[in-house]
Amino acid sequence: MQGQAAALSVDGLTKQYGRQRVLEGVSFSLGHGEVAALLGENGAGKSTLAKLLAGAISPDAGTIAVQGREVSLTSPRAAIQHGISFMPQELIYVPRLTVAENICLGRVPGRLGTTSPQAIRRRAQEEARAFSLDLPLDRDMDTLPLAQQQQVEILKALARRSRILLLDEPTAALSSHDSDQLLTLTGTLATRGVAILYISHRLDEVFRACDTVHVLRNGRLVQSAPVEDTSPREVIEQMLGRPPEEVDFTAEDRPATRPVLELTAWSRERTPVLRDVSLTVGAGEIVGLYGVRGSGAETVAEALGGLHDDVSGSTVVDGRQLKRISGPIAARRAGIAYVPADRKSQGLVLVMPVVSSLSLAVLRTLTKLGVLRRRRESALAARLAEQVRLRARSLKQPVGELSGGNQQKVLVGSRLAAKPTVLVLQEPTRGVDVGARLELHRLLRALADEGTGQLLVTSDIEEAVGLSDRLLIVRDGQIVHRIARPTLASQSEALQAAGGHQ
Amino acid sequence: MSSTTDTPAPDVSATTGTSEARRPRRLSMSDGALQTLLLFGFLVVIAAYFTSQNSNFLTTRNGLNILINVGVIGIVSLGQLLALISGGFDLSVGGIVPLGAVSFALLVNAGYSVPTALLVVVLLGAASGVVNGVLIAKARINPLIATLGTLSVTGGLALTLADGVQVPFADVSAGVLTRRSLFDINNHVWIFLGLALLMFAVLRYTSYGRQLYAVGGNKQAARLAGIRVDLVTVSVYVISGALAALAGAVLASQLLTGSGTAGTNSGLQSITAVILGGASLSGGVGGVPGTVIGVLILGALSNGMAILTVPSFYQTMATGAVLLLAVGLSQYRSARRSAS
Repeated sequence: MQGQAAALSVDGLTKQYGRQRVLEGVSFSLGHGEVAALLGENGAGKSTLAKLLAGAISPDAGTIAVQGREVSLTSPRAAIQHGISFMPQELIYVPRLTVAENICLGRVPGRLGTTSPQAIRRRAQEEARAFSLDLPLDRDMDTLPLAQQQQVEILKALARRSRILLLDEPTAALSSHDSDQLLTLTGTLATRGVAILYISHRLDEVFRACDTVHVLRNGRLVQSAPVEDTSPREVIEQMLGRPPEEVDFTAEDRPATRPVLELTAWSRERTPVLRDVSLTVGAGEIVGLYGVRGSGAETVAEALGGLHDDVSGSTVVDGRQLKRISGPIAARRAGIAYVPADRKSQGLVLVMPVVSSLSLAVLRTLTKLGVLRRRRESALAARLAEQVRLRARSLKQPVGELSGGNQQKVLVGSRLAAKPTVLVLQEPTRGVDVGARLELHRLLRALADEGTGQLLVTSDIEEAVGLSDRLLIVRDGQIVHRIARPTLASQSEALQAAGGHQ
Repeated sequence: MSSTTDTPAPDVSATTGTSEARRPRRLSMSDGALQTLLLFGFLVVIAAYFTSQNSNFLTTRNGLNILINVGVIGIVSLGQLLALISGGFDLSVGGIVPLGAVSFALLVNAGYSVPTALLVVVLLGAASGVVNGVLIAKARINPLIATLGTLSVTGGLALTLADGVQVPFADVSAGVLTRRSLFDINNHVWIFLGLALLMFAVLRYTSYGRQLYAVGGNKQAARLAGIRVDLVTVSVYVISGALAALAGAVLASQLLTGSGTAGTNSGLQSITAVILGGASLSGGVGGVPGTVIGVLILGALSNGMAILTVPSFYQTMATGAVLLLAVGLSQYRSARRSAS
């Protein structure tokens, strides 16, 4: 774009696995101080491109140039030496070292291989101050919240003089407040000339914080444009390869239905605390519970799933008073199905085939004297797979091989197997691509239409307003605001009510 | 042909499903089955080598010899398999086997019938397993530490009961467990094969088996799916303990004496066999066919080397090398797969 050479330029980059081309002739350039978004559905080639630039894999064809000079990134180390730092979605750090030590990792201050805790701390402090970040330098890395860990990782990259940052979905697991902070930081870096390639699923952020968008579809770059010259709708269309369907799932006016879930005066002493939370979910209704991380919204979902037995208050499911939700089994017996937030660590057994994953929560109904009735199991799995519109090569495929969206469909399907009265969903579309997200939303709406009451606990504001029939805003452990019929325009109202951080 | 395949596909083909549909195809065989087949090939290679060196290796007589020799460790390995699938392992079998052997001998010498003695011994093993299971599932002690502790306790108990000496059977009829019967095959070989078949069915066709794989694959997910993770974990160590004690009784019957020092290495040996058979220390995978082949590989190695009169310490080294080779190959395979 300007006279000087681009910070990074790639030309004709191609990568092939076996006979499958995952990346084909990708060319673009990234200027100094430019923030570029890399968009695409899962499987479009985003992570392959990131891995190529990070030196984790080598291209089959094409060139990569840094500051106008062609480089060969044969290892992550080579990439770092050329000033490229890659921040994967799951951060890689040393948990038991302090924040300061992590920042200085890889470029330890000192002479002749000697260093001192003071020197490390001083260096870390300089780096942090340079970007006006306030970090607890002496705490162990693993005691920090994710948002701060990311800041540390970014500082670490800058401390080794990286001029090009690759960020892989850094905000996927962040609350909106933390995401904003991160975007402010990337903005600051950009003004100092750092080039940033930003992989994300969140279009609102992209249009707020990026200069350029690059869209990948099936391994090809199908669009490269300054954000001013395009629109979220056009970008989605490019990602999908077809116009998106209307996203507004807000239900038409429905008569008040019989309540299937009634929580009264839910309270919890331990953090995250709950204070007098009361809510009702009617049959066929989707009630949204929106709050930033730590607000207590997650705690409500987890407690309904049987993960916290220290919540006081009354719980009525389908007219029956529950004593206490002592564990997941008790929750299920009461007719509650819980879809946890993290499908990989809490939801799925990744090595298990799809069939067994779908039937796992209802094994008891599929056995006779302890022996599995495999035909029934397959029939159930086939039915559920169709209901959630699962795309898998075969139902015998391990769940871990599926894309994030399809994994999520398996998780939701496994909970539907029990024919629950109430479905409690926590972050049902986190880290899922646009197409799958749309399908999941459509599925949830269809389930509601069939009468399943749903409590949707999400930190994704678009999802909260787009899917909920009623939206409750949680802040500091209590419901602070209720929006009767949220529309896309309710976003700022909800954000405002949920905001408020110490 | 080349000209058509090189034409870029028109963009209209990009429906939502294509990204998944285009994933590379692999063999339609399941991973586990493929691994078992590879392992079997490995066994064949070993057998072929020994046969080429000494024609006595590949005879029915010698095949039975191998089975006779692996019976004890085979029974232990079936229990160990469960522990590994659940994501743990059981070192204490190295103490429970001698404990079973000594107590079986003492009970029989005290005048109890073989079935009664066997029942008591198995219950004793199961009780040790309860201790393991509770330490691991309830007290959340790492399986390494927990079973290392019970290994010492049970092993020490065996030596104490034997009073530091061997306990020879007063009546040789206690050798019945290893006597030849049906088809001229020894009873304990039948016991091993029968248990293997039973375990195969349990793992594959029961909800218990399914729950076990889920617990080993992801404890948290299993718990949220309504599985009693603690109960499953305890059961695994109970079964492992019971089978180890049974194996101890078989060993005593084979040697015609209950020894506090025989079978003390069965912990590491059984883990070797099970890992060789495709299980993983991280849990959630493994199966009976692989384990049986793993046991047979160990048996064939030591038998073949004995026939070639290779000193026994070389055998130990060879066993280690084979383990590292097999695990290294499987790591290489999975690393290559996850790279794509």
